[in-house]
Amino acid sequence: MSSEGIQNGGMAARSKASVIPPHLQLVNVWKRFGSEPNRTVAVSNVDLSIAPGEFVTLIGPSGCGKSTLFNMIAGLLPPDSDGSILLSGQPQPDGALLGKIAFMPQKDLLFPWRTVLDNATLALEVEGMSRRKARAKAESLFPEFGLMGFERHYPHELSGGMRQRVALMRTFLFERDLILLDEPFGALDALTRAMMQRWLLDIWERHKRTVLFITHDIDEAIFLGDKVMVMTARPGTIKQTETIALPRPRDASVITSPDFMEIKRRLLASVEEESMKTFALSRDAADRKTMS
Amino acid sequence: MAIRLNGLRTALPVGLALAGLLLAWEAAVRLFGVPAFVLPGPSGILVTIAEKSNILSAGLLVTLTEVAGGFAIGTFIGVALAIVLVLVPPLELMAIPLVIAINSVPSVAFVPLVLLWFGLGMASKIALAAFAVAIVVLLNTLQGLKRPESEAINLLRSFGASRFGILFRLRLPAAMPFLVTGLRVGLARSTIVVIVAEMMGGYGGLGQVIYQATAMMDSLTVWAGVVVASMASLGLYGLLVALDRKLVWWR
Ligand SMILES: Nc1ncnc2c1ncn2[C@@H]1O[C@H](COP(=O)(O)OP(=O)(O)OP(=O)(O)O)[C@@H](O)[C@H]1O
Ligand SMILES: [Mg+2]
Repeated sequence: MSSEGIQNGGMAARSKASVIPPHLQLVNVWKRFGSEPNRTVAVSNVDLSIAPGEFVTLIGPSGCGKSTLFNMIAGLLPPDSDGSILLSGQPQPDGALLGKIAFMPQKDLLFPWRTVLDNATLALEVEGMSRRKARAKAESLFPEFGLMGFERHYPHELSGGMRQRVALMRTFLFERDLILLDEPFGALDALTRAMMQRWLLDIWERHKRTVLFITHDIDEAIFLGDKVMVMTARPGTIKQTETIALPRPRDASVITSPDFMEIKRRLLASVEEESMKTFALSRDAADRKTMS
Repeated sequence: MAIRLNGLRTALPVGLALAGLLLAWEAAVRLFGVPAFVLPGPSGILVTIAEKSNILSAGLLVTLTEVAGGFAIGTFIGVALAIVLVLVPPLELMAIPLVIAINSVPSVAFVPLVLLWFGLGMASKIALAAFAVAIVVLLNTLQGLKRPESEAINLLRSFGASRFGILFRLRLPAAMPFLVTGLRVGLARSTIVVIVAEMMGGYGGLGQVIYQATAMMDSLTVWAGVVVASMASLGLYGLLVALDRKLVWWR
């Protein structure tokens, strides 16, 4: 398992593969909700390993346990006791991961009473940085995040794409080496989305962090990732890991290249199979309900 | 400019309606020769307010002091209790049914008891006002403090925030609109309970002025007292609206 992570690792990892442990490693991670009669197994037997500096995308049908997995990696939810999470080779007991990982949840969760600037500095303030210093630090990022001139605006004055960029900036300003992004572009229109993807790669290449990125969109998963992981329908587990050897930096033309098409063909079958299962599962449940 | 114009646009019809009402009232009283002890006209009330301005303003001062003192103490207690309850959930489970039970009894019902405990001076009125305000502020603030969705709380936790960090950066700001609603209801309730308590037993205040005038069948002074009391609570309400804009600036 871990050998695969190292082989496919990002450029930073490749040269020192033998000494650097995986940045993040999950071993037999499970999450079950509720007790027996109506127990939900959200995540089952997940093993994965991500090298430092790697960009990994995670794709799977709705409700398969992706957000639950993220909550566990961020330390918000303890994994069931049969598995473990390791950060740079160190096992992490319950709660130990809080404050160590930059986590961007599925909703932007901007605070309506804070300006854009003060939303961006939220994590810095929590860490105890003075307001003045935190603002100065955030202000320097505004051009890069395409938000110049909006520092003093309130979130309700922004478009969806801009709100998402503020949430991303808040995540980036919480300077942790591992970043979890839960469907950051899920709510955006196709055009904005494509733009944001290229922009995110650009930022990632400059800031060099390890990224784990959830998406529903196969094109997005392939375009962004060093590695695409496919999750099965619930109970979610890693079904397949596909290494994306497309050269970087990538631009829009990559999407129409034959290599991309070939990878997409392979993944599409796998992803659709799981989506169909989810669909069948929910139909079964509905049938059972109507029968009783 | 636009806001002023808007304000004018809403104030104008209200002002006109009020003026019309007062005129009709005055005309009816004069036309039908209604005696003053049944219903005095607005002009008569105004004249009385001017004549009795000494005792009215002394009473107003006492009432306002009691309301303001009770309001400040009650707000502090209500907010503090709400914070404690949200930080210690088991305590909330125990306390809330009790608070809701107390809240369903009009605070006026407690007046005789409180007069007995705190005497006929200002202390009893301040205690009653504080009590009335604390209960509503507690219930509203608690609701507001519990408002943030778990995702937002988790976001702060993921940054390593403590309970207090979550309280100050998320729960309290989110509770502001609820607190303001609590203050508004609390203000109305505390004004009522203070005036009623003054009527039931006290040395001063508008309630006492109204009570004594009633005893002497001086209906003009009763009306003057009622009008001054209404004006005072209208003024306090205006202050709260301004406070609302300060505390909930993002809406
Ligand atoms: N606290 C909880 N209690 C009970 N069940 C839960 C809880 N959290 C999640 N689940 C269940 O776990 C499953 C996985 O949910 P999760 O949110 O992780 O899915 P997801 O893959 O992120 O879905 P989506 O793509 O729609 O965001 C769902 O069936 C959900 O109902
Ligand atoms: Mg999700």
